[in-house]
Amino acid sequence: MKKKIRRMTAGVAMLLASTLASSPAWAQSITIAIGSEPSTLDPQLRDDGGERQVNDNIYETLMARTPTGELVPGLAAEAPKQVDATTWQFELREGVKFHNGEPFNADAVVASVARVIDPANNSEQMAYFGTIKAAEKVDDLTVNLVTTGPDPILPSRMYWMKMIAPGYSKDGDLAGAPVGTGPYKFESWNRGTDLKLVANSEYWGGEPQIDDVTYRFVTEPGTRLSGLLSGEFDVITNLLPEFTTNVPKFAAVPGLETSVFVLGTDNEVTKDPKVREALNLAIDRKAMVEGLFMGYATIAKGSHINPAAFGFNEKLEHYPYDIEKARALIKEAGAEGKPLVVVGESGRWLKDREQIEAVAGYWAETGLNVTTDIQEFSQYLDSLMGDGPRPDAIFIANSNELLDAEREMSFIYHKDGAAASNSDAEMATLIEAARLETDTAKRKALYDEIQKKGHDLNYTVPLFNLQDIYGMSERMEWQPRVDAKMMVSEMKVTE
Amino acid sequence: MLEFIVRRLFQGILVVFGVTATVFVVTRLVGDPVALMLPLSATEAQRAAFAQQIGLDQPIVTQFLRFVGDIATLDFGNSLWQRRPAIEVVFERLPNTLLLIAAGLGAAVMLSIPLGAVSALRPGGLVDRLTMSVGLLGLAMPQFWLGLVAIVIFAVTLKWLPTSGMGTAAHLVLPALTLSLTPLARFTMMVRASMIDELNKPYVKTARAKGLGLTRILRVHTLRNILVPFLSISGWELISTLSGYTVVVETVFAWPGLGLTAVQAIQRGDLFLMQAIVFVIAFLIVLIGIVLDILSKAVDPRMELN
Repeated sequence: MKKKIRRMTAGVAMLLASTLASSPAWAQSITIAIGSEPSTLDPQLRDDGGERQVNDNIYETLMARTPTGELVPGLAAEAPKQVDATTWQFELREGVKFHNGEPFNADAVVASVARVIDPANNSEQMAYFGTIKAAEKVDDLTVNLVTTGPDPILPSRMYWMKMIAPGYSKDGDLAGAPVGTGPYKFESWNRGTDLKLVANSEYWGGEPQIDDVTYRFVTEPGTRLSGLLSGEFDVITNLLPEFTTNVPKFAAVPGLETSVFVLGTDNEVTKDPKVREALNLAIDRKAMVEGLFMGYATIAKGSHINPAAFGFNEKLEHYPYDIEKARALIKEAGAEGKPLVVVGESGRWLKDREQIEAVAGYWAETGLNVTTDIQEFSQYLDSLMGDGPRPDAIFIANSNELLDAEREMSFIYHKDGAAASNSDAEMATLIEAARLETDTAKRKALYDEIQKKGHDLNYTVPLFNLQDIYGMSERMEWQPRVDAKMMVSEMKVTE
Repeated sequence: MLEFIVRRLFQGILVVFGVTATVFVVTRLVGDPVALMLPLSATEAQRAAFAQQIGLDQPIVTQFLRFVGDIATLDFGNSLWQRRPAIEVVFERLPNTLLLIAAGLGAAVMLSIPLGAVSALRPGGLVDRLTMSVGLLGLAMPQFWLGLVAIVIFAVTLKWLPTSGMGTAAHLVLPALTLSLTPLARFTMMVRASMIDELNKPYVKTARAKGLGLTRILRVHTLRNILVPFLSISGWELISTLSGYTVVVETVFAWPGLGLTAVQAIQRGDLFLMQAIVFVIAFLIVLIGIVLDILSKAVDPRMELN
């Protein structure tokens, strides 16, 4: 119903779009509509997309990524060196200052690390920083990061940890008036209404082009679209694929999420590898990309690992659509008419219900007796990660913020992973070996092997790497990034 | 009177407590807030540590006793989502919702009386038929859809008003009108029906026979008589608006009120914020009930307060 309404609105909006006058020209000030307001502006406590969308412009991290996802030094002067199995040494960039004048140095790194891992702060980000033991100052611009065990992902982790000013973190209002080293400074926040940042003229990387940016918080996608069409917004997030034809400009970029079904390899029907292969062969992924995503999704190649992540096996291909072979395999396995329960949720990820129902439809074609069970989200989380029996097939759009395959491996492929549905001890051993392997080439080879195994044994049914679509006003020029960070310093206004 | 207020307040406290306790139990039964709050890939140990920090590792009875103790001192704990006192979030958003309701319901009340009265004077006439048709539409259209259509027409096409957000008086117009349409329809129909009833009563005929003008009859007798049912229906609408309509309207118009906050709190499994919101809304509803009773008594002294 809601979708129908959106479509109707889009239709009306499309008709009216032609009559729109161009937006008023306010040089170098832009307005961005995001889906949810930051819960806090403290950069170290919450795992919150709204908070990141703003704070990514205010704060910086030791490591950064290029728009295409390559890990490069940020506040670090160069890539870190490994001193021993559990110690990484970072040289820091010289002459960097926080917005309040405090210098950025080893003390700032030590304070930032100490605060985020302090159990008293109960930071949700510990999911990313669980292996970090301490940061130790070597000299003013050198700092050692010590991990609890060998941790090859530490540099990627430091791409996620925002550096705070040590003095300000003691007596300042971190939650309400952030102070970072980034290209934009905090200006004002009217809770519920808007939030404003201004350019940092003393930014070490050069002053950004856009002078100030105002964030608005608009949950409803139809309302965000309307605001873009009426000229109130310059950039809107999460534009629905079907709206791309209505907006003045848009940009689509591969995102962090990959949709996948995890198959229960010990379940009565899906324990047969032939059945699992049939499930992979039965889906016309190309048709789904066109039909559901208007082309704005990429077919996942053989695994649920993000293509931009370290460890992605680029040599695998996705299973072709071959319904005849799928039917034959089901017959061969003697599974015709046997039940298959497909578990999923609705409304959390882009077109989740549509993907689940389309796939369930394809699977029913193979001769299996397919039922779909769309659950309320917290119930679904219990099916996904709880202690109960594993579902035959469960849908997830898995996100990989750190862009390292470790996360997806441990979560879905490792037999003890929260969302894993297999009991393959050999695979678990490989994943554990990779977790500790600090030799980059060897670690990559391990990941390649694990993905090949997962692909050949059909532990999962990978679907799509979803694209993030941003709507933009005519005057905006911006190429969004693969890590979904909205860096205003990379945006331009043409007028 | 004073005794009545005290008694009702006491009953009200029981109601508020009952509702809040129900929310306490339900929120803990339906889902695990830790799973909702942490990234999907958080480890078991991290989940356990998080649960311990917010006290969710305790047996539910212990949690409940602590909760009761805290509520007695009006301490609702910290919002998990915003990491600040939950009651602070509620009091920050509540005025926005009250402003929206005042504008929306205010418009509905002020328009419905003349519209209903004029319709009642000439049932089947042009004004009546027009009012009834629009009223039926107002009742039939979902506010979600109505809001989006209003945005497309008045903000995107005509550019008279902003699409969403809060700030100037112009920002208030579309959400308030969207909010007002359903109550307006209900009020107008109610005023019309009771008015037709009243106008057919013998006292009106007597008054007219004595030569009193229609306006005077309406003002002095009829309107006063329909005021009591009108008060109770507007109380009902006020409660529905507070606990329902605002959720939809605030979401569509990105209005930073309590309704939108409630939706977000539920999505994020923010138990503590939900408890605070429900507590405050339940308290307001009890208060509205008491005020309505007193108002009705003031309008119609024959009424017994009990």
